[in-house]
Amino acid sequence: MALEDQASQILEQVRAQGAQGDLIVDQGEALSLKAKEGALEEHKVTSSQVFGLRVIKDQRVGIAYSEASDAASLQALVDQALLNASYAAAEPFETIVPNGFSLETDDRLLSPEDPASVADKIALALQIEASLASKPEVKNVPYNGVQDMCAERRVFSTAGLMARSKARSMACFAYALIEAGDKNAMEGLGQTARRFDQLDAQGLVDLAYQNTLDMLEGSAIASGKYDVVFDEEVLPSLFSVFAMMFSGKSAKDGVNPLRDKLGTQIADAKLTLTDRPDNADGFGYALFDDEGTPAQATALISEGVFTSMIHNSMTAAFFGGVSTGHGTRGPKSTLGVGLHQLEIALGDMAEDALLAGTYFLITDLTGLHSGANPISGEFSFGASGYLCKDGIRGQAVRGVTVAGNFYELIQRIGGIGNAQYWNWQKTALMPKIRFLDMQVSG
Amino acid sequence: MVVLMPYNLYQPNQLIKWKQPMLDVARAEGVIDHGIAVGANFAELFIEKSLTSTISTLSHQVQSVESGIDFGIGIRLVFGGKVLYGYTNKTEADELKRIINELAAMDLRDPSIERIAFNFSKPEEAHPATLTLSSDAEVESKVAYLLAADAAARAASNVISQTRGACRQKEQHIELFNSEGLHTQDARNYIRATLTAIAADGQEQASGMWSDGGLLGWEMREQVDPKRTGDEAARQALVNLGAKACPSGRMPVVIGNGFGGVIFHEACGHLLETTSVAKKASVFHDKMGALIANEAVSAVDDGTMANEWGSINIDDEGMATQRTQLIKDGKLTSFLVDRLGSEQTGFERTGSGRRESYKFAPASRMRNTFIEPGDADFDEMIGSIDRGLYAAQMGGGSVQPGTGEFNFAVTEGYYVEDGKIQYPVKAATLISTGPAVLKEISMVGRDFSLACGMCGSVSGAVPTSVGQATLKVDDILVGGQG
Repeated sequence: MALEDQASQILEQVRAQGAQGDLIVDQGEALSLKAKEGALEEHKVTSSQVFGLRVIKDQRVGIAYSEASDAASLQALVDQALLNASYAAAEPFETIVPNGFSLETDDRLLSPEDPASVADKIALALQIEASLASKPEVKNVPYNGVQDMCAERRVFSTAGLMARSKARSMACFAYALIEAGDKNAMEGLGQTARRFDQLDAQGLVDLAYQNTLDMLEGSAIASGKYDVVFDEEVLPSLFSVFAMMFSGKSAKDGVNPLRDKLGTQIADAKLTLTDRPDNADGFGYALFDDEGTPAQATALISEGVFTSMIHNSMTAAFFGGVSTGHGTRGPKSTLGVGLHQLEIALGDMAEDALLAGTYFLITDLTGLHSGANPISGEFSFGASGYLCKDGIRGQAVRGVTVAGNFYELIQRIGGIGNAQYWNWQKTALMPKIRFLDMQVSG
Repeated sequence: MVVLMPYNLYQPNQLIKWKQPMLDVARAEGVIDHGIAVGANFAELFIEKSLTSTISTLSHQVQSVESGIDFGIGIRLVFGGKVLYGYTNKTEADELKRIINELAAMDLRDPSIERIAFNFSKPEEAHPATLTLSSDAEVESKVAYLLAADAAARAASNVISQTRGACRQKEQHIELFNSEGLHTQDARNYIRATLTAIAADGQEQASGMWSDGGLLGWEMREQVDPKRTGDEAARQALVNLGAKACPSGRMPVVIGNGFGGVIFHEACGHLLETTSVAKKASVFHDKMGALIANEAVSAVDDGTMANEWGSINIDDEGMATQRTQLIKDGKLTSFLVDRLGSEQTGFERTGSGRRESYKFAPASRMRNTFIEPGDADFDEMIGSIDRGLYAAQMGGGSVQPGTGEFNFAVTEGYYVEDGKIQYPVKAATLISTGPAVLKEISMVGRDFSLACGMCGSVSGAVPTSVGQATLKVDDILVGGQG
């Protein structure tokens, strides 16, 4: 039976029970290749499908999912979701959005046909490993690979919504382990592109090698206060750890520490931060959210003023507003909110001025998942990078920690550069920012 | 307000036919034979069907009830040292053979082995569960537990502003076939209940958390006390609300029992998995028999402990699990070895091949991993410190196996000076390397306990326990704001 017919049957059963609902169907295919010592070590081919149903009956919400798609399992899906709803507390603000749209992303843009064969991708995986392994002092290349992923999401609702989004991504990554005497270092990074021929494997290999070699001589620096610049990979990660500050859902639940700060100055006036799902150059591009609400650019912080939280239809209704197109829901999860693609506006400082004098360039933070408290803003992470002077990398630094409070940190901005950089996943576009007086312990 | 339904309206057995075979033997034979026909020297099918349930509360209300069915088949083919892996949600023989054809397209060769006839065996159930998810989801009593924990947390102090509760249960059924004649089945029942409390005082907010879990059913409710859960979550939140900035720098640290064992998990456990050892991506790959830790340290990874969170009957390659002595009196005595790791390193398998689900090929992973208790006294450890830290509760951490560099977070800490605990501190991280910290563990106490965690690595997130008695590390870098 066609997917549309299965969805129609499921939603008809939901209606027959006097409920509303929406159904998410995720389908995906992926190829993953890893090489070791000149041969392919792993070759993974996957295909998956999962149905996720949300029902709302008498203002109560129930969620159920199934990876099995036979008729009995899909009937069980409906029964289970309705049963789960019966246990939930009433949530008058959560409804099925009256979006009767037919929405579809552009496959030519997000999921282009690609003539590259599996053999081409295997050859690239082998080339990356061999090329990096052949460089001086490289002991081995423990983590490397090439991936081709295609994910499709369909959303149907009792209100008539039929939305389809499909995106494909090619990625490669490589990490080198270098040993010299009793010293060792391991560094690496990745690349992502829509098409296979857009991957620059040699550039990846050269950068991974140079970063690892540089870090081999790394050592701690004296404890103290330093000006800090996070590189284009680390800065988006840091903001994502504290993304709760923008969450309308967290505000509704009473755990967003900035819920009463809308309209007030929360950051240095040089900082303007916007969520930009409309930038099709990035992989965070979105035409609509998981409720079928059109995604849109949303100013979060404008010249230091907290201008907007992000909302789905439920949190918007709770606060008396409208959805900002940030509703998130997976087949297995409840309705939430999430950012698409962060962008920090260009600053007015030329980079040579921004990077004048001595500062600590941080190229890696460890413990992001465990060393931060988004409620209080406190954090303490392991860090590595370079002690720099006038934009030039000096001593490689490792085995140190940085600690502070994020909500105070964004008020201590010395300058913002006048050029923007994507992170390698191409999900965030940010300029360099110089933060003042961070505590570093070595 | 909470609206509940009587138990007898929930009839999951009508929905999920657990007793049916997940893949009939003849079909499994055909698929394995096809893997051999395309030239694989090892072929395996891993079939999984899991029922999950999550009940979430926010303050004194049920926020959501979620449930679902996971089902899929993982196919592993080995060609020499190369692993091909695929999975699908479908059970048809044609679909399974299609995946094999696609996987092996670049490796086709003449058959090199013959399939050994399946010899069905089922492991003895060492971790019995009675209140399983397929027998009764027990939504009412789980809600009652979480709301009682919420009430206890709120009763602890009027500055407890919010709580979040979650009770997650999973019933995982697996079935394995391989070309070496293995045919086995197992069932695993996981339960975990957690409460997070948030304390607020003006603009200051802090949180505390308590969690219980195990490899058993909801009969765990007989072993846990919602008041203790709420009290403990509130106590941590209140301590952290009044905490000062943590001094930073190198200093001695006393690490509390239970989840404090994350230090060994990150500093050493991951580095002993053949996933890293075979690639020489572990600093310990060539240290078997060497003194890699202080002689006060003996460490174990044990999958056999009754009903513990990281226990299993058989691993995800069908081998009976075991207790593995990793370090004895400071000397490295064993790695954690899965099937592929055994072939690559020559060490015997340890029943440590694990995976999150059918979506992952198995890899060598930890189970219940801990430093064995010693005989040191807590007061003696604290009393030996001039200036240092007592890390009473630990959060998560991570490690880079190639260099051994690790970090982990302190979620409840106290500054220690002149042999006495002085005041609570916040936002501290400990960083070091595995080889360094193992030699700095000088005292191990007697108050051994285990704690639950989810460990993420190449084969997904698997339940693991960490554990230890309170112990002292003589010198480690503490990152704080002070």
